Amino acid sequence: MDLVRSRELLSELTRRDLRLRYKQSVIGVAWAVLMPLVVIFSGWIVRVVFASVSGQPVDAAALAGVAVKSIGWAFFVGALAFGTSSLTQNLALLTKVYFPREMLPLAAILTQVVDTAVGTVALMIVLPFLGVVPTLAALWLPLLALMLLCMTTALTLLLACLNVFFRDARHLVQVIISFGIFFTPVFFDASALGQRAARLLMLNPLAPVLEGMRLALVSGHNLARPLVEANGVTVWSPWLLTYAGLWSLVSIVACSVIFHRAEFRFAEYI
Amino acid sequence: MSETRNGLVHVDHVWKKFRYGEHNQLRDVIPSIARRVLRRPDPEGGLWSGEFWALRDVSFTVRPGEALGLIGPNGAGKSTVLKVLTRIFRPTHGRCVVRGRLGALLEVTAGFHPDLTGRENVFLQGAVMGMPRRDIARRFDDIVEFAGVAEFLETPVKRYSSGMQARLGFAIAAHLEPDVLIVDEVLAVGDASFQQRAFARVTELVRQHIPVVVVSHQLDAIKALCTHAIVLERGSVVQTGTPTQCIATYLRGIAAVPPAAAYDSALRVESVTLSSPRVASGSRLTANLTGAVIADPTTDSLSIRFRVREATTGDMWYEADSRALGVSTPVSGGFSLALEVQLNVPSGLYFFDVYVWDSAFGRVTFVGPSTTIEVRDGVPFDGMVQMNARATLGG
Repeated sequence: MDLVRSRELLSELTRRDLRLRYKQSVIGVAWAVLMPLVVIFSGWIVRVVFASVSGQPVDAAALAGVAVKSIGWAFFVGALAFGTSSLTQNLALLTKVYFPREMLPLAAILTQVVDTAVGTVALMIVLPFLGVVPTLAALWLPLLALMLLCMTTALTLLLACLNVFFRDARHLVQVIISFGIFFTPVFFDASALGQRAARLLMLNPLAPVLEGMRLALVSGHNLARPLVEANGVTVWSPWLLTYAGLWSLVSIVACSVIFHRAEFRFAEYI
Repeated sequence: MSETRNGLVHVDHVWKKFRYGEHNQLRDVIPSIARRVLRRPDPEGGLWSGEFWALRDVSFTVRPGEALGLIGPNGAGKSTVLKVLTRIFRPTHGRCVVRGRLGALLEVTAGFHPDLTGRENVFLQGAVMGMPRRDIARRFDDIVEFAGVAEFLETPVKRYSSGMQARLGFAIAAHLEPDVLIVDEVLAVGDASFQQRAFARVTELVRQHIPVVVVSHQLDAIKALCTHAIVLERGSVVQTGTPTQCIATYLRGIAAVPPAAAYDSALRVESVTLSSPRVASGSRLTANLTGAVIADPTTDSLSIRFRVREATTGDMWYEADSRALGVSTPVSGGFSLALEVQLNVPSGLYFFDVYVWDSAFGRVTFVGPSTTIEVRDGVPFDGMVQMNARATLGG
């Protein structure tokens, strides 16, 4: 009974967020495509500039890789931005009506999922023109998407909750959004930095997920097997999958627990 | 799912602690943690500095068919009790159990989003209040009709008047089909005709044999709706009883007479004893006052006044002055004074207030003790005034 109620509330809140996001905006839902498109184009420009500096040609696969990872990154950043303020922006609701509090950040994430789905469909239409033909390896994508969802949800729950008590969380999100892209392989590939830097970069739990998406979809690489470049740099190791999986699991459990411990104090502190 | 209708509200020794002031910056956290580590809390109730009890040891049970009214001045903790019941606040100590689906007629517009249309908001608010979409859809027409906003359904709520918003909010909440009902001040929503319909709707819900908790400053509403009441004062229950008794307790504390000036009165009334606390309507009652003259300044301009107030409204029904009654004010020492009134009033509870009036300055100098009179039916009658009718049949 309570679960049914929660599901209906979640869908109703998501509907609300979607309506609000595109209400009174001239191009409406087109924003869902435009936003990731901006990220993708920025990535392409960066790639082309890098390539012309190093004197190597840009191949279509690299551009496709940037596009795939950009969608993932845009999802992460968007969910974080909307999700963190989801509790504080619904002050009237929190202090006056009881309902499962996690529904607000979850609705913000779900809204972003719907948004990203629109962007993904657009990407799927474009990818064949970049020479990408999905192979069986693309079957890894749902698992990677799930990991991304878990990590994003975990961080959003944590920051949304933190934002209730300390408005500092808002600024923290700005930092993550602005500078996170330098420490996450979105516009560049981790392996391009050399063995040691790549290993370091892959410690960022988002890195294996995004790189995995690129390898599985664009390179058609089976993630259960390692991939080493001709120059000896490790591009992929199956352990990375375990690493990201553990992060997803541990973070979602830990952050949910923290959220539920703090949730009864929201109405008093907000 | 609610055919059994066995809702229950059980509040068991609930305490709720709050803090004064702001505390949402990181720099406040470290001192507060340090304090907690270094010092033990005050053993008297476990309060830290800057904390206070919003509720102290509040207990009550409301069973199906019972309606409990919460009465008390602003800040007494009424809203905190409701927020504990609705699970918005968690009690610091104690337990609060609400069995069954809770319908809350409070803050009925809280879930509204100004940019969404009336139709969209009905579904959103319904979901927030825990109503399945199916049920909302089924009752949609009733809700819209009750609120009287049919022609504005596709208009964003931000363009509604505040009365329209409140009406729509009330209409949604009032169609929830709850197992437990909580009503807070919403009876003051909208215009007179809507208020009437709202009251009728709440009465209808109360009659459905479910537990009801009502908070209202409209004491008439409490009296009309409730079977029981409690009086809250500064977080504690000071009385439990029938609505009439509780309203009397509450009103005795407020608005008795204007507050006394902040200096010593030359004349004081120390005790008031009624010849009988219960009298039949239309009969006479004597109040024996004792008091003292404290000496200078003179008592020339002072007189003793008394009031009879109706207890459920606090309205003053009678007031008289000792000088006007032909009694000169004593000039020294102790005194006693007998005041006799004929209670030509309907049955009910009344207050008998005594105070000292200074006609030279036009102010109250002393407020004496207030007592309660219970007037019982003599010969039953309708109307405002007991006229002690007698009927004689001629042959």
